[in-house]
Amino acid sequence: MKAWFRQHRYALGVTLRRLAAQPFSSLANILVISLALAIPLLGAAVLVSVQPVVSNMSTGPEITVFMKPGAPGASAGATAARIESEFGDDILEASVVSRDQALSRLRSNPAWADALAVLPDNPLPDAVVVTLAGTDFASRATRLAAIWGTWKDVDHVQLDSEWVQRLQALLRFAHIGLLLIASGVAVVVLATVFNTVRMQALSQREEITVARLVGATERFVRRPFLYLGAVTGGISAMLAILAAGLALSLLNEALIELARSYGTEFALRLPQTEWLTLFVLLVAGLGAFSARVSVSRNTRF
Amino acid sequence: MIEFSHVFKSYGRGVNALADASFHVEAGEFVFVAGPSGAGKSTLLKLVAGLIPPSRGKIQVNGQDLVKLTPRARPYLRRAVGVILQNTHLLNDRSAFENVLMPLIVTGHDHLTATARARAAIEKVGLAGKETRRPIELSGGDQQRLAIARAIVNRPAILIADEPTANLDQASAERIIDVFRDFNRVGVTMLIATHDQALIASHTHRVLHVDNGRVTDYIVPAPSKAAQRGAA
Repeated sequence: MKAWFRQHRYALGVTLRRLAAQPFSSLANILVISLALAIPLLGAAVLVSVQPVVSNMSTGPEITVFMKPGAPGASAGATAARIESEFGDDILEASVVSRDQALSRLRSNPAWADALAVLPDNPLPDAVVVTLAGTDFASRATRLAAIWGTWKDVDHVQLDSEWVQRLQALLRFAHIGLLLIASGVAVVVLATVFNTVRMQALSQREEITVARLVGATERFVRRPFLYLGAVTGGISAMLAILAAGLALSLLNEALIELARSYGTEFALRLPQTEWLTLFVLLVAGLGAFSARVSVSRNTRF
Repeated sequence: MIEFSHVFKSYGRGVNALADASFHVEAGEFVFVAGPSGAGKSTLLKLVAGLIPPSRGKIQVNGQDLVKLTPRARPYLRRAVGVILQNTHLLNDRSAFENVLMPLIVTGHDHLTATARARAAIEKVGLAGKETRRPIELSGGDQQRLAIARAIVNRPAILIADEPTANLDQASAERIIDVFRDFNRVGVTMLIATHDQALIASHTHRVLHVDNGRVTDYIVPAPSKAAQRGAA
């Protein structure tokens, strides 16, 4: 076991020596990989930051029926009752939100409180919030909204969840896009490490020949190259996190100010530490894998 | 120790570097492999070291059948066979000491043992005081000595050398052969390829003569005292 550790320590030493022997070339490779890695990392930061905001929003199939401002107080209740009786199979429930209830809900939101305080009276209408039943509500909601919009005392009908659903679809699209970018970057990592190891293997040809001559196993020969791939990948991933962190801190300075002007708090943040640790390990593993393939192909002499 | 049985080795169509070679070398023997350049001496030594496979026939080295030897087992055979090739394959980016240390790192020796053994090997070949020099800073004879030190540092049972005295003057060549004799005296089996007839004739040795891939086996008698006086 001690011999095994000694050989790994030797391999790591050889790797670091080889990296140090060509500092500019090694640094250039690491920078290329880390900048490529920083792109999906920034994308992940945006998704990680936006996701909680979106998941807190209601995506249920809701339709709000707004009554005309001058409509009698009982018209909202009558509309709700008509919806329940005529479209009972299409809906789960229909509840009335009076203009007073709506105002008090808005006042509880600090972003609106100041604006509402300066208004002389309640500008909000009575409304009926309808929750649809079933799953195919996309086309059904449009049809129902068109019908209800023609009823007496109804001002207009709004599909509440539509924009949230659009936003979620956009996020799903961004997720897929991020996955594709990450795959592309993985190819960049594989190709860069493959080529680095190939160049190293060719320049270390004499050393490999000698090692084999004196009884080195193929594992012994390959080990420093695997470390080279893993170390290059690992350092690049850590640099990428650092670069993404720096970029986010600059972006956040402007973003926090912008969000505050809307009376809210929002900032972009990197994924959690566990996720980042996994990211470093994954890139290091990817580097080692690429090195393994490269060294097997380029040390057949 | 070394057994060749109807061994053939060809590198291309119809070019036999070795043809139907059969011989046996006992443990502790000192054998010269003689013959003109291109006769197949290097091929024979590489076959013994397991560096190349035979085209046909059976080779046993140190109790192992080289034809059946798996790629995983091959490195362990090489640890038992010290090899000094015509191209010494010394690493010029490392010191003489680090060159000798390498086989001990490969075999996983601890630092103290490795250092002590590398130092002893360097002293044994007469390179004490030149440990920090790089191979390129050493003379041809010293480079050969360094290659020998690297080959013997893992205490192999067999030592093979391909033209170790080529490009050396007579005195340096004699000193190299003396180093080999010292190892042979402690039981190391020696197989040395050379085309230097004067060197072969200088002592009683068994000789495997290779010519056009054919191997013949004979003993060179001890030179007469008159001949030795004449040479002196």
